[in-house]
Amino acid sequence: MTTIEEPADIEIEVEDIIVCRDVHKWYGDFHALRGITTTIKRGEVVVAFGPSGSGKSTFIRTINKLEEHQRGDIIVNGIELTNDVRNIDAIRRDVGMVFQSFNLFPHLTVMSNITLAPIKVRKMPAARAKDNALELLKRVGIAEQSDKYPNELSGGQQQRVAIARALAMQPNIMLFDEPTSALDPEMIKEVLDVMRELVTSGMTMIVVSHEMEFARQVANRMMMFDAGLIVEEGPPEQIFEAPKSDRTKLFLSQIL
Amino acid sequence: MAMNLNTAPASELPPRSTRGMAGWMHANLFSSRFNSILTVAFGVALAAALWFGLRWIFLAADWTLISTLGGRFIIGQYNAESACPGSNCFWRPQAVLLLFTVLMGMAWGITGRGVVKQVAIATAAAAAAFTFLPYSLDRMGLDVRLLLVANLPALAVGWGLARYTPLGTARRTAILGGSAFLLALVLLRGLPGVPGLQPVSVIYWGGLMLNLLLAVSGIMFSLPIGIALALGRRGQLPVVKLLCVAFIEIFRGVPLITLLFMSQVLVPLAFPENFPQDSLFRAAVVITLFSAAYMAENIRGGLQALHPGQVEAARALGLPSWQTTLLISLPQAIRNVIPAIVGQFISLFKDTSLVYIIGMLDLVAIGRSFIQGNTEFLDNALELFVFLALVFWVFTCSMSYVSRGIERNLGVGER
Repeated sequence: MTTIEEPADIEIEVEDIIVCRDVHKWYGDFHALRGITTTIKRGEVVVAFGPSGSGKSTFIRTINKLEEHQRGDIIVNGIELTNDVRNIDAIRRDVGMVFQSFNLFPHLTVMSNITLAPIKVRKMPAARAKDNALELLKRVGIAEQSDKYPNELSGGQQQRVAIARALAMQPNIMLFDEPTSALDPEMIKEVLDVMRELVTSGMTMIVVSHEMEFARQVANRMMMFDAGLIVEEGPPEQIFEAPKSDRTKLFLSQIL
Repeated sequence: MAMNLNTAPASELPPRSTRGMAGWMHANLFSSRFNSILTVAFGVALAAALWFGLRWIFLAADWTLISTLGGRFIIGQYNAESACPGSNCFWRPQAVLLLFTVLMGMAWGITGRGVVKQVAIATAAAAAAFTFLPYSLDRMGLDVRLLLVANLPALAVGWGLARYTPLGTARRTAILGGSAFLLALVLLRGLPGVPGLQPVSVIYWGGLMLNLLLAVSGIMFSLPIGIALALGRRGQLPVVKLLCVAFIEIFRGVPLITLLFMSQVLVPLAFPENFPQDSLFRAAVVITLFSAAYMAENIRGGLQALHPGQVEAARALGLPSWQTTLLISLPQAIRNVIPAIVGQFISLFKDTSLVYIIGMLDLVAIGRSFIQGNTEFLDNALELFVFLALVFWVFTCSMSYVSRGIERNLGVGER
């Protein structure tokens, strides 16, 4: 992993799947991201953490343009994020996202939740979309629930459906925005297990989470966010055993 | 001592005093001295109201006015000699009713059971029962009575069409319904030069038929127009937004009666003198647009109540914004505001009787004008209005019954 000194000079290598250069974001007058510069390689698993309001969720939401950045560049899989609608839709097809509150569609069955986007966006034949969906539901361990509605499932099951729904679009990158923080403790493990399996499949993942045990096991890199900046990043051993920033030390001492 | 941690304590029944009829009465009617007094007082008042009400209905009231008007309550002057000179046009409204019954049968065939089935059967049974009502119209012959009884087999035909032919999908039935509405208008209006279909001017259309025509066209068109207005008002395009807001505020801000009046007096001035004029069409448009303005605000309320995560999730999956609206936002928004939408439909149905202001003889106006023209019935106004209230109540009550049934059926997918 290389540290980037001069954003303007970097060259994008093939394995750089996400490149961010000096990304800024304001909500009204509030400066939420104050210049994020980082590069994420294909297959890398990154865990972002930090106090609430530090910009970590905003950061991953700019990557599929759920939030618009006002300065700097974001290049995802070779496509630059601009206001061009075609680019945005192309990137969203490539980037799966899992939300804290699941955001399953309550008026559709589990099966339709998963097949909707492949059929409507990827123009996949319905039968094939269904086969794929069943495959994915098996992978996340709830194949028998496919005809139920989301509100008939537990929180952990709903989040696993949400992961399957994102995977159905065959993304190259998966973003997780605090995927376990709305769950009861006994359901957190079942979701983390699915994510672990995803890591072994080689998926590029950015996970906003405070599950430090999970981060220690699977992350290639951890990013500490504070006040709209990445104050420290590095492999878990470094973050946990020898954090360089005082802010990281303080934060870890409070949550561990 | 070993304890089995897996065994929960056996569940018990609630205390005896809260169970059964006696428990319920104690909890809800006689829980304190004050409540007991209220219960007794209301009980006495209810019994008195029932006693005097029933005595009036069965002993004091004179219902001959209702049977004298008979079929005119249903079709107005449609079959009068001046409307349909030299032939019998009574079969045409009956044929429209048959069309409607076939569609109800199809709706039953598609949904299978529940409120749609009940309403379909009730409609056909009521239609068939009209055969035995005392019609004052002397031109009601055996043919018309047979057409009325035919509503029962028509229901079965519709059910069969939905079950055993490719027509049995919701979309195809909806398309058929739209076509049937147009066919119904042609049937009622007539075609010049076609034997048996001599034109009947809209000034003779009346009675319940008129209320239902205005209500059905209003319901059919105000929902899609309202949805379009709501989406326009929430959209990104400033000009469209401004136009939608202006439309909604103007049509909500003016009384319907004023709009109806303007549609008959002002609108014709805007067209050349020999431009085809149709007062009923203009009234239908005004009622539809008036209702659409309210509908738009109901739908907008439903859209605003949606969790923003729903749209985010759809967009994150790569669904373009129009598909997100069509497949994710609208279905949820509409189901959240079904009570408000049905409330608007009910209000629209009742408002159709306002067309008396522009000289149309709807169900209410028929009765009123009959009393005014036949002074021997002047004392029977109370009977007339009790009867009219009952007719309106039966329709509005069925509408809310269907609405509750739909809500129950959709409840499966609720948040």
